[in-house]
Amino acid sequence: MSASYSVWQCRTCGYLYDEEAGDPAEGLAPGTRWADIPADWVCPLCGTAKADFDMIEL
Amino acid sequence: MTAIPDDIARTIIDPFAYADGDRVDEAFTWLRREAPLAQARIEGFDPFWVVTRHADIKEVERQNDLFHNGDRSTILTNIEADRAVRQMMGGSPHLVRALVQMDAPDHLPYRRLTQGAFLPQNLRRLEGRIREIARGFIDRMADSGGSCDFARDVAFLYPLHVVMELIGVPESDEPRMLKLTQELFGSADPELSRTGGRDVSLQEGVDSIQSVVMDFMAYFNAMTEDRRANPREDLASLIANGTIDGQPLGHLEAMGYYIIAATAGHDTTSSTTAGALWALAERPDQYAGLQADPGLIGGLIEESIRWVTPVKHFMRTATDDAELAGQKIAKGDWMMLSYPSGNRDEAVFEDPFEFRIDRSPNRHIAFGYGAHVCLGQHLARLEMKILWEELFKRVASIELDGEPRRMAASFVCGPKSVPIRFKLH
Repeated sequence: MSASYSVWQCRTCGYLYDEEAGDPAEGLAPGTRWADIPADWVCPLCGTAKADFDMIEL
Repeated sequence: MTAIPDDIARTIIDPFAYADGDRVDEAFTWLRREAPLAQARIEGFDPFWVVTRHADIKEVERQNDLFHNGDRSTILTNIEADRAVRQMMGGSPHLVRALVQMDAPDHLPYRRLTQGAFLPQNLRRLEGRIREIARGFIDRMADSGGSCDFARDVAFLYPLHVVMELIGVPESDEPRMLKLTQELFGSADPELSRTGGRDVSLQEGVDSIQSVVMDFMAYFNAMTEDRRANPREDLASLIANGTIDGQPLGHLEAMGYYIIAATAGHDTTSSTTAGALWALAERPDQYAGLQADPGLIGGLIEESIRWVTPVKHFMRTATDDAELAGQKIAKGDWMMLSYPSGNRDEAVFEDPFEFRIDRSPNRHIAFGYGAHVCLGQHLARLEMKILWEELFKRVASIELDGEPRRMAASFVCGPKSVPIRFKLH
């Protein structure tokens, strides 16, 4: 069984990346793990680097 | 380096070209094709670069150290008005100092002061109350006998009510806040400005805007005193009692915070909502599609934000020599970021002049980009989502009942009248 999904948030603008939902408009299919997103990916809303996201509990 | 032809340059700063819509679209289409990054040299203004392409706007917005917000006016201002403001403000080009006028190191701590309140996870607890407010406006619309001016009767008032409740402004003061907002953003519109469309000297024009700002300040000064004595669970209490590095906010900075929340906090959502309904009234197939599948509402929201782009520009100032899109930008150069142009950029958007709720991806830059991206964007989306969910449940069809009209302004504007007829389910 796969590990539970996590949610990551951009520190600049608050954009949420939910692994379970993915972000199809960004080419990230539902279920895409945070670890599988390339390191040079940036926040689609504000351009903040992937490194400046925090995992959060909703 | 070529300068932008004078007629094009004058069009993109003409408030009435934005009221017309097509005129400004044609000018920016020409610029994106022929001179996507070029200087406007208009008599009475310092020269400024006009950044028209989506990619170039993002490039400027993400480099906050190289392109500052606050070194010169963040809104296009002519030489005489700039001089008058600096005289009033002890050399500063700004009448207020809000987040949009700040750069590092001030910007981040000031933004962090209220950022938590605007995060999606914290806005969720407001959803029930916002839905109640939205239903109230749809009830009033339903009681109006099948016709209304959607801009004036719903779109202006609903986000106003939500934001004023968040700030802590009593409902009885909302008409005053709306009037002040429209006088500030509509200072060039004869129907909205404090000068009432009279021909006034430039000094009178500046004085008039300053008097609007002073009215806001008088109101929020009193609110600061009250919240310091009686803190509540509202934004005003956060601002009044907030500290930066252990010190209370500066006076101009606190006033800037209140004023931006009390103006841009609702006016932009109002414009987008009014513009969306206008677009849907002209496209009954898309209206019917939204009723059949509320899952399309997310697409409607993003497309209407792109379509209206209520913030028309912000200015940046280069802090060093730089190169952008093959052009040499010199230290001190002033740059206009044209968001409506970026959001019609043919290189990014297929059929940019089509309103399509199924547009995906929809990477508009109406909220800006980078560190200054709109603080209230998640609230704006939530307000719109709830309003549309409630409206589509009750209103079966809409059509225009007269000619919609836009506000005349080159900074922040949208529709000021959207007369409609509608049928309920």
